[in-house]
Amino acid sequence: MDTQPANKSIVEIVRATKIYPPDVVALEDISLSITYGEMVFLTGMSGAGKTTLLKLICGIEHPDKGMVEVTGKDLNRIKGAEIPRLRQQIGMAYQDFKLLPDRTVAQNIAMAMEVSYQNIRTIKKRVIELLQKLRLEHKHNAFAGNLSRGEQQRVTIARAVANSPTLILADEPTGNLDSKTTKLVMELFEQCNISGTTIIIATHDESIYRKSENRVLELHSGQMVQPTDRTILTPENMP
Amino acid sequence: MKFFSTILVQTNRNLQKTWPTQFMTLLTVSLSVLIFSFFFLIYTNMIKAGERLGDDLRLTIYLEEEPVMEMQSQLVRRITNFSPVEEIRFTSRQDAYNRLATQLGDNVDVLDDLDPSFLPPSIEVYPKKNLSNLAQIKRFSEYLATLPGAVKVQYGQEWVERFNYFTKLLQIIVILSGSLLILTTAFMVAYTIRLAVVARQAELEILRLLGATNGYIRTPFLIEGFLQGLLGSTLGLLALFFLFRWIQLRFTGPGILQLIEFTFFSPTIIGIIIAASITLCTGGSFSSMRKFMRI
Ligand SMILES: Nc1ncnc2c1ncn2[C@@H]1O[C@H](COP(=O)(O)OP(=O)(O)OP(=O)(O)O)[C@@H](O)[C@H]1O
Ligand SMILES: [Mg+2]
Repeated sequence: MDTQPANKSIVEIVRATKIYPPDVVALEDISLSITYGEMVFLTGMSGAGKTTLLKLICGIEHPDKGMVEVTGKDLNRIKGAEIPRLRQQIGMAYQDFKLLPDRTVAQNIAMAMEVSYQNIRTIKKRVIELLQKLRLEHKHNAFAGNLSRGEQQRVTIARAVANSPTLILADEPTGNLDSKTTKLVMELFEQCNISGTTIIIATHDESIYRKSENRVLELHSGQMVQPTDRTILTPENMP
Repeated sequence: MKFFSTILVQTNRNLQKTWPTQFMTLLTVSLSVLIFSFFFLIYTNMIKAGERLGDDLRLTIYLEEEPVMEMQSQLVRRITNFSPVEEIRFTSRQDAYNRLATQLGDNVDVLDDLDPSFLPPSIEVYPKKNLSNLAQIKRFSEYLATLPGAVKVQYGQEWVERFNYFTKLLQIIVILSGSLLILTTAFMVAYTIRLAVVARQAELEILRLLGATNGYIRTPFLIEGFLQGLLGSTLGLLALFFLFRWIQLRFTGPGILQLIEFTFFSPTIIGIIIAASITLCTGGSFSSMRKFMRI
């Protein structure tokens, strides 16, 4: 575990630009800082660059300009063996799920813990616990490929949370869920957050951040909309 | 412990997914080992037989005249100059006559009318017992024929030449089947691992995203290669052993196989063959991964 100096940022992005070939500017001159233990919402229209930003943070994509630093490590300069170690600390729930259709739900979730050589019994217990929290216990042995989209969505969330990462990136985690299930998912995230995990949630579901007191970042065609343009209550600017 | 149990679970999964190809590869490896070790076994036995037959091998140089003492020592010097020998024995006319008489036994009376000096004197040369000398025996005999007073040099010419020819041929076959073993084994294993990698592409990609280390991803494939080598060579050698026992039982009784006493590989040789197969298979799997797995 990394040491977590108070008020130090877990994610630090400085003037990052991402251009997909040939010339799709997905992100332009983004600067952003997220402190340990924060819960942040990332909003914006479809195609605004939310997924791209999350991919920069977990090192799947690299910025064409600028710097991305996660847990104090510059992702442009990170060495080969450090990448897996960093990724084990980041749990990402993918917008396209990235599940293995021919594995069971339990196996899919277990993968996240197996890569850090967790004890098999610990893994089993954790998987059951998570499935219960997400009301999926009856799908324990179902093949992921046979699940509904909403169920797959919850499996990818469970997998992101399973290894108790320091940073959770959730890409559109409630896109396929009804309001009741959405509440379950948000409760899970809040529990993780309370126990110290930093969480970034990319979403266009206004209902999940409207009443929240957490920071809301907005992207607009690859650019960060300045917080002053919005009326959000953050702990800092609360009256 | 956790590392190993996790890796073993992973390996088990891989095998379940690709076992038909894995099985074919296993068969190929066993077959290559069988072919190679079959010829190698014959070869080692031939060499051993050659050594044993070499014990009886001697070159006889028939002389015009019985050499006087100093002539004898000069001859010995010239012979040993050419090649180190085990023993040199001079046979006088009388010695030759006596030997013949003992060989005739009860029929010794046929010699009664003959001059005891009718047999030529000779030198018997016993070369050192090893195959390289056996191979050089022809040159040696040609040299001996040039010694002063030598009339004729005799040894089992035809037999030695055939034997040499045969062991040379075997040597080539062993080298060829050895190369075949190396090529097929490395190729098949590399190919199988490639298939396994392709079959698990989606999984490997997700594993990488979840933070799997190179060790986590590669070790199962290396274990597969290792198992292919271990099981393949063991099966091949077992098959050879049963073949060997069968031949032994089948051909007991007087005959050529009695003359050449067949033995199986020593534990050391067995160990070397198995270790070589394991190295080959693991190496094949490693090189295949380096090519097809971008991490
Ligand atoms: N691999 C890629 N190659 C080329 N263009 C891409 C690629 N991935 C994303 N883009 C483009 O980059 C832009 C930002 O995409 P991104 O997926 O980050 O949007 P998003 O905010 O996540 O959208 P959504 O809400 O629909 O998920 C889009 O215009 C998209 O077409
Ligand atoms: Mg997206």
